[in-house]
Amino acid sequence: MPAFTSAEYLAILLSLKVATVATLVSLPFGFGVAYLMTYRQFRGKVALDVAVNLPLTLPPVVIGYILLLLLGQEGFIGQHLLQPLGIRLIFTWKAAVIATAVVGFPLMVRSIRLGMEGVDERLIQVARTLGAGWFDTIVTVIIPLSLRGIAAGSVLMFARGLGEFGATIVVAGNIPGVTQTIPLAIYEYASSPDGDRMALALCLVSVLISVVVLLLHEYLNRRIARAD
Amino acid sequence: MNRVISTLIVVAACLLPIAATAAEINLFVAASMKEVVNELADSYAKQNSGIIFKKNYGASGSLAKQIENGAPADIFISANLEWMEYMKARKLADDKSIATFAYNSLVFAGRPGVKAAGMSDVVRLNRIAIGSPKSVPAGEYAVEAFRKAGIDKQLEKKLVMAKDVRECLLYADRGEVDGAFVYKTDALQVARSARILFTVPQEYYSRVTYPMALTVAGSRKAVAAGFYRFLESADAKAVLARHGFSVK
Amino acid sequence: MELHVALQKSFGAFSLDVSFTVRGERIGVFGPSGSGKSTLVSLLAGLQQPDNGIIRLDGELLYDSHDATNIPPEQRRIGIVFQHPYLFPHMSVKGNLLYGYKRSAPANRRIDFDSLVAVLQLDHLLSRGVHNLSGGEKQRVAIGRTVLSSPRLLLMDEPLSALDDTLKFQIIDYLKAASEAFRIPYLFISHSLLEMRIMADRVLAASAGRIEAQTTTEDLARSRMGLSPVGYINLLQLAHPRKVDGMSAYAWGGTELLISADGDHPESLFELSSKDIILIKQHPDAISARNLLDCTVSGTFRSGGKVGVELACGDGRLVAEVVQQAACELGIEIGSRLFAAIKASAFRRLG
Repeated sequence: MPAFTSAEYLAILLSLKVATVATLVSLPFGFGVAYLMTYRQFRGKVALDVAVNLPLTLPPVVIGYILLLLLGQEGFIGQHLLQPLGIRLIFTWKAAVIATAVVGFPLMVRSIRLGMEGVDERLIQVARTLGAGWFDTIVTVIIPLSLRGIAAGSVLMFARGLGEFGATIVVAGNIPGVTQTIPLAIYEYASSPDGDRMALALCLVSVLISVVVLLLHEYLNRRIARAD
Repeated sequence: MNRVISTLIVVAACLLPIAATAAEINLFVAASMKEVVNELADSYAKQNSGIIFKKNYGASGSLAKQIENGAPADIFISANLEWMEYMKARKLADDKSIATFAYNSLVFAGRPGVKAAGMSDVVRLNRIAIGSPKSVPAGEYAVEAFRKAGIDKQLEKKLVMAKDVRECLLYADRGEVDGAFVYKTDALQVARSARILFTVPQEYYSRVTYPMALTVAGSRKAVAAGFYRFLESADAKAVLARHGFSVK
Repeated sequence: MELHVALQKSFGAFSLDVSFTVRGERIGVFGPSGSGKSTLVSLLAGLQQPDNGIIRLDGELLYDSHDATNIPPEQRRIGIVFQHPYLFPHMSVKGNLLYGYKRSAPANRRIDFDSLVAVLQLDHLLSRGVHNLSGGEKQRVAIGRTVLSSPRLLLMDEPLSALDDTLKFQIIDYLKAASEAFRIPYLFISHSLLEMRIMADRVLAASAGRIEAQTTTEDLARSRMGLSPVGYINLLQLAHPRKVDGMSAYAWGGTELLISADGDHPESLFELSSKDIILIKQHPDAISARNLLDCTVSGTFRSGGKVGVELACGDGRLVAEVVQQAACELGIEIGSRLFAAIKASAFRRLG
């Protein structure tokens, strides 16, 4: 294996950081959306469902482009929300986090929803009549009983985040040490004449991390299954 | 249903002799050459009936690797010398046929309001897009130019690496960066609101050379060799010049 | 407890439209499945919203569509025991029991944890998970959990339907014990007249989304005697049997009843159908039926073409049924003397 330089180590660390932060940031939103979709009836529910699942079918490059249009200097959010607050997202690792979060979001919501749909509605009703408010019910009944879905959704999103390429490269660029994650580094090496070995080495790292993540997922799943 | 089938049979019967007699030329061309090579191929096909072009545009590296893995290619036009070297080293290109097809030049493109008239002005800007130097030749030339102009350290934190030249121009067009170092030809063709602000003086970077070659397989095909000669002709050079490429 | 309800709710082809005021501690809601009983439970507890109407419990407005009053379920203090226990699978028995208790206002806590555990005999289960409890144990925990939340009103929605007969009467004993010990007014919802008789005094008869009548369980049972294939079920709570020739003799109404069902238990509830009592005008010399009771007619009633005869035998009361013709021949009227012949095997032990 060729020796990694600091740029490669930074890419590996950045990948982990981006995937972790994206997962953590998305978790409350993913849970919120899954909760709304599972337990609430409201107007525009179908629209929300479609919007949340859109990244699943759209090419990631398109998502990157849309995010660039929204968050950029002239974008609606960029111009009216971020600039007044002095926040710059485009071409920073935070943009990579947002791209990763958006792309992985439907996977997370789906898993959590599946978990929530497995919770017997009567248990929620029982909790309510025993004096638990809706938030109390979420914390003491819905979260513990849909833990498996939440864990699965988080791991899935994390794994998806490690592999995110298309949206990230558009909205965050491919800046070594700043926004260059493993897939971006692999892309760069794979398209340079003498980068094959390095690209393969990084692929190996990618595979290793994915295997560890998936094993962790399996392990968590079993532990939760045993706790039930 | 029967009618559809019989129609198909008739159509197939009409096509067969053409397919059998038509000579096919497989072009593997760097993406930045797309428009100009399309035009050249079209005009050549008009003059020489019976020739069908199959064109594959992409990053020079991807093309080289496709050829290495057995993709049918007759003529390879690379956006830089390294990938041609790569082909040569692996005995994929016909050595004798390797020649320079065209030259390009590096420009700095940005929105009209951006004040930059030369390399020394660039350091005052905040964000500059270049192609990823390892994978995008234009980016590599840009980095070379920074080094020679002695502004590489100052720019280090200001660079935004994009995956290709078109993405650089997208950023410049939308004002996400102050400007982008791109090929003159791309700036002319692709940019919408961005304009060429200045041309990078040639002394700062090695000449952007598009080498072309017949592949080993292509060198055995008379039609491919014929088109190759056309690419070297004065007619072809006129077309290249019209698209912004230099030919000398 | 006083509950005033006037509600409308429709979904699809079904519509619920009820209006009643009921007072008492042991109220039954009786009706076949599909009559809207469970919907009523959901609406009372606030788990579903009516289309419009009003719910008032002990003078407090819980729901009113006119001024948009809608107390959320967690503040209504109306507890539910469902057909299935629905225990929280991620908590221990103790965790389940304390769930509502911890969330109740200390001022409202009328039920002591230890005494509830004693009444429902849950001591040895407290630290267990809920997965390896038996069906009866689970339902006891569910009852305890609801009772411990100190509700003002307890809704029991077919709490016995999922249990087999033996278990059913065990749970009934626990329910009665808990209701006597902690005095929580309840609405007992069931399609079983027998359960209704045991658990309720007043009863609301539900049918096709309407409350058709408010009556006593006794009157309800009598009105259904003539229609029911089993007639009127006499319920006899008997104790301390004496063994006689392989049968059990129980003291009742100043005399003894001979019953062939086994009498291992110190106290048992027996059922006896009104159809299994034969009325005779004069004392026969000999009869195969092991029980021949000397009775006085204390009342008669009509039900579906049959005549119900209320018999007094000492301080015991029984209801027998005869057809109109037999009633004429026997000359039945209040005060007339009759003998009631009942086979020892006609009694069925319930629990």
